[in-house]
Amino acid sequence: MKKFLSFVLKESKHILRDRRTMLILFGMPVVLMLLFGFAITTDVRNVRTVIVADHLSAQGRQSVERLAASEYFTIVSTASTPAEAERFVRSQKADLAIVFASEKRGIQLVVDGADPNMAQQWATYAQQVIANPPSGPVNVKMLYNPQMKSAYNFVPAIMGMLLMLVCAMMTSVSIVREKERGTMEVLLVSPVRPLMVVVAKAVPYLLLAVVILGVILLMARFVLGVPLAGSLFWIVAVSIVYIILALALGLLISNVAQTQMMALLLSAMVLLMPIVMLSGMLFPVESMPVALQWLSAIVPPRYYIEAMRKLMIMGVGIGEVLTEVGILVLMTLALLAVSLLTFKTRLAR
Amino acid sequence: MNAIEVNGVSKRYGNVVALDDVTFSVGKGEVFGIIGPDGAGKTSLYRILCTLLLPDGGTACVDGFDVRKQASQIRRRVGYMPGRFSLYEDLTVEENLEFFATLFGTTLHEGYDSIKAIYGQIEKFRHRRAGALSGGMKQKLALSCALVHSPSVLFLDEPTTGVDPVSRKEFWEMLSTLRERGITVVASTPYLDEVRRCDRVAFLEKGRIRGIDRPEVVLEQFRDIFNPPGIAHENTLAKDEKVIEVEHLVKAFGTFRAVDDISFSVKRGEIFGFLGANGAGKTTAMHMLTGLNQPTSGTGRVAGYDIRTQHEKIKKHIGYMSQRFSLYDDLSVAENIRLFAGIYGMKEPEIKDKTARMLEQLQFSEHKDDLVSSLPLGWKQKLAFSVSIFHEPDIVFLDEPTGGVDPSTRRQFWDLIYQAAARGITVFVTTHYMDEAEYCDRISIMVDGKIKALGTPDSLKRQFSQPDMDHVFTYLARQATRSSD
Amino acid sequence: MTLKFLLQKEFLQIRRNAFLPRLIVAFPIVIMCVTPWVMNMEVKQIRVVAVDCDHTVRSQRLLHDLEASHYFTFNGQRATYQEALADVEHSKADVIVEIRNGKYLIAANSVNGTKGSMGSAYLSQIIAQQDVAGQAPTGQGMAVKLLYNPHQNYQLYMIPALFAIVVMLMTGFLPALNIVGEKEQGTIEQMNVTPVSRWAFILAKLIPYWLIALFVVTMCLLLSWGVYGITPAGSVVWVYVLVILLAMFFSSFGLIISNYSETMQQAIFVMWFFVVCLMLLSGLFTPTRSMPSWAYLTTYVNPMHYFIDAIRTVFIRGGGFHEISLQLLALLCIGLSMGVWAVASYKKNA
Repeated sequence: MKKFLSFVLKESKHILRDRRTMLILFGMPVVLMLLFGFAITTDVRNVRTVIVADHLSAQGRQSVERLAASEYFTIVSTASTPAEAERFVRSQKADLAIVFASEKRGIQLVVDGADPNMAQQWATYAQQVIANPPSGPVNVKMLYNPQMKSAYNFVPAIMGMLLMLVCAMMTSVSIVREKERGTMEVLLVSPVRPLMVVVAKAVPYLLLAVVILGVILLMARFVLGVPLAGSLFWIVAVSIVYIILALALGLLISNVAQTQMMALLLSAMVLLMPIVMLSGMLFPVESMPVALQWLSAIVPPRYYIEAMRKLMIMGVGIGEVLTEVGILVLMTLALLAVSLLTFKTRLAR
Repeated sequence: MNAIEVNGVSKRYGNVVALDDVTFSVGKGEVFGIIGPDGAGKTSLYRILCTLLLPDGGTACVDGFDVRKQASQIRRRVGYMPGRFSLYEDLTVEENLEFFATLFGTTLHEGYDSIKAIYGQIEKFRHRRAGALSGGMKQKLALSCALVHSPSVLFLDEPTTGVDPVSRKEFWEMLSTLRERGITVVASTPYLDEVRRCDRVAFLEKGRIRGIDRPEVVLEQFRDIFNPPGIAHENTLAKDEKVIEVEHLVKAFGTFRAVDDISFSVKRGEIFGFLGANGAGKTTAMHMLTGLNQPTSGTGRVAGYDIRTQHEKIKKHIGYMSQRFSLYDDLSVAENIRLFAGIYGMKEPEIKDKTARMLEQLQFSEHKDDLVSSLPLGWKQKLAFSVSIFHEPDIVFLDEPTGGVDPSTRRQFWDLIYQAAARGITVFVTTHYMDEAEYCDRISIMVDGKIKALGTPDSLKRQFSQPDMDHVFTYLARQATRSSD
Repeated sequence: MTLKFLLQKEFLQIRRNAFLPRLIVAFPIVIMCVTPWVMNMEVKQIRVVAVDCDHTVRSQRLLHDLEASHYFTFNGQRATYQEALADVEHSKADVIVEIRNGKYLIAANSVNGTKGSMGSAYLSQIIAQQDVAGQAPTGQGMAVKLLYNPHQNYQLYMIPALFAIVVMLMTGFLPALNIVGEKEQGTIEQMNVTPVSRWAFILAKLIPYWLIALFVVTMCLLLSWGVYGITPAGSVVWVYVLVILLAMFFSSFGLIISNYSETMQQAIFVMWFFVVCLMLLSGLFTPTRSMPSWAYLTTYVNPMHYFIDAIRTVFIRGGGFHEISLQLLALLCIGLSMGVWAVASYKKNA
């Protein structure tokens, strides 16, 4: 036990002494949370609009006033002909032109359609503001996220990405570094069991990941105002399963990689990219082609992020996420088994 | 029962035979030396005995346990110090020791007595990070880490490479006390004085054991390799023109004066030996002369240029070969030569010509396209030296150029140095081999950042009334009050 | 002249590396073949359940319409709102529509805000169309004319952005590891005692990454043509010019980080931090103009923002020099100042 503790202590010192890495490790969640919470948004806002108002009716004038007053649109200019307005859009000085032509010809919207999603939303919003429909019989209720904050969607995603990064990258690099520096040889020859070496290495990173998890949850709750609707116990419990999974993955990478550079590139590009792309953190899995959906089925963060979205934001009980948690646990066990079995207690040469 | 029984062990990596039918045994409490040139298979042998590597054929037992099947028992009983630094650079000296002590189930306090002679020298720096120590100091710390527990068998792979003569003596005295406690020691070393202190030695070459016997017998048997004839050297070239002039040079790191007011000069064509214990300030001084570091105070001129203001001009006129490898491992021999020649502004045809001639001279033409990483250490060093003088510099700086190689390879290396000196290149060299010190025209000995002696080897021997350079060095270095860095 | 020899060395080292050449070839292929399919923000197949308390002709017609709509997957009716909500909690439905006394209640799971709002918006549209059917249209007919990207192809929008990601990762991370690597190996000391000039040394480290960027972007262009049939609307020359400028920035930036770092791990973490921030604030995924003003201010110094803006103009809108001159100038200025900084931060004499 004493050996174990001194191991953990030594590993913690490695982490704590590298100030810059520490700064990034804690700065990253904070900055990401702030960015996603406040800066990154797909809301329609400040759309640069050109008005062609040659034949402006009374109704039309009211529409323009409503457009100007709305936070969605910023009227940057007026043009006299539709062609001139289109030139505005084409020269990147405006995103949208609204042509109020004569009564008969109705209203024409000229939209910069480079971004199909945004183009569609601009057009829809513009139509709504212009038409100003009286409140109809439809009543819309947004479940779980009434203010439509994107942070609700992203907080679990950030957790999924950062925990994976910290655990997998840091452990793999720290093990490979011992190989490169030759200290691994001494550790292996020492009376300490190899399993203990590995576990002792993982413990500080586990603690670090838990602290980061805490930082994220606190920021989510008190800075971004994301309610932690579900049971905190299960949120932490599932996260710890995920952290262990990430640690096992890190160990696996360190078994494969010979140099620090390779371990870093493997975890940065080969591991991180699929996570960002296929886990559903940014892009919904349902919209992918079937082949990629299959591929995403083996990406662990997919299940973690899904589970966290349900547990944290929707506040459902653990019973509703049993599938995800079950898959995570199985993956963790499988990865642990593979990585421990492939861990070499002897050198290749 | 013998502590180690090795029977017909062989090991190959692809086509390369590392060990070929090696058989020997080591008795309990014996100090057993493994000697042989770099690439002879020493490290592979150590790794097999430490259960880090599986042998392809044969059997080996350590302390009665089989290396294949009973690895965990062996690991509980042996201590191992690999050839390269196996320290945690971001932990302090004390933390490193304490960690390794706990690893082997003991404490620094309990093991203190067994490492006192060596650790005592670096204890003052126990709160310094291991990464900030000089090369020799790191080696001492690694030694302390290996010795802090009392295993029944201790494997030491070239433990004293880069360590100064005084500390080496102390280290071997410690090994003797271990023997008294019944600990078996297996060590390899390139130093002859250390070989002589073993009970028995095995001479390993190209993966085969060529001979096992008492050291005197083996050294006599393979006289050509271990005891090459001395070099007669008469320097007629040295002129009065001074190529290095240093006045009151100081380099301070905070309150610590690594180089403390040194003054000396080196004449053109001279071979100048720059000696000192680990951490006496040699490397720091050299870094100032080569324009890597700015002096804190004092003046210096190298090849006629000021070391403070004209360091980039100095760099055009010098060559440099450092302790650590100065060649790119992932480039071939010819590519390395080409790169450095090109950097010094040599022209394409000239490079081609000279490369061919140089490789011819080194009898190395067939390895022209080999990657440097695949070469044995001795070859790398000869090559690195040849590259460092390829552009015919005025002065070449060599920082422990022959660390860790066998006597005959060192001898060949010095032949190269003499050839360079004969061409008029001034050689500025640091070394821990005192036989090499005798080869120099003049030497200086640094102690605690100051130059304590300066003159020809003969005059120094007379001045301090000592029989040889080894004694002169020991006499001076023992006066050190600070012990490092 | 020494530059030639230094360059040769860098290329040989990259070629000899066991991992880099494969990475340089494989990475763009994977990114180009996979991500355009993934980066699909289109909302499809929203699962809807209905709670019909009215059982009128009108409500029946709505349910029928829902079944017919290709936006929605109609998952049947539930007896009560509670039952329907349970479906949402079990992730069996995304939107509930309740019809009671001729009024409609749409409840959408909006954990994913876009999905929620798009779903409810589509649903409202269907209801609105139904209601107005037969009545006089409220608004005048509004025609929407979409400039560029007439097929509303999201891939066309994202592919030029992928160029940015590939160039950023290849020319940012690799140099970040380069000098630290030489430091850890000890070879940098040997370089520092040679008369090699700082400019030559740094340039020799930068140029290979520019060429890698050109190689990688050529691959990307070929793949986007071969796999997706997408070619730039504007001149391909400007694509290359932009890529070189971006590579200039990222390779210098990588070297700067490398110069200040002590270990590879440090370098990669610091680089990663900046890359994520630059990327998120560049408008690659989300429109910059939607950002709050403090965040929008950062786009003025964000080279990724200029690059994304310009390459989309060239690629999708067919712009030329005139349209992207501002971005070119900004990228050039940022790139050059980074280059100068990279040289200044490399110290041969401490």
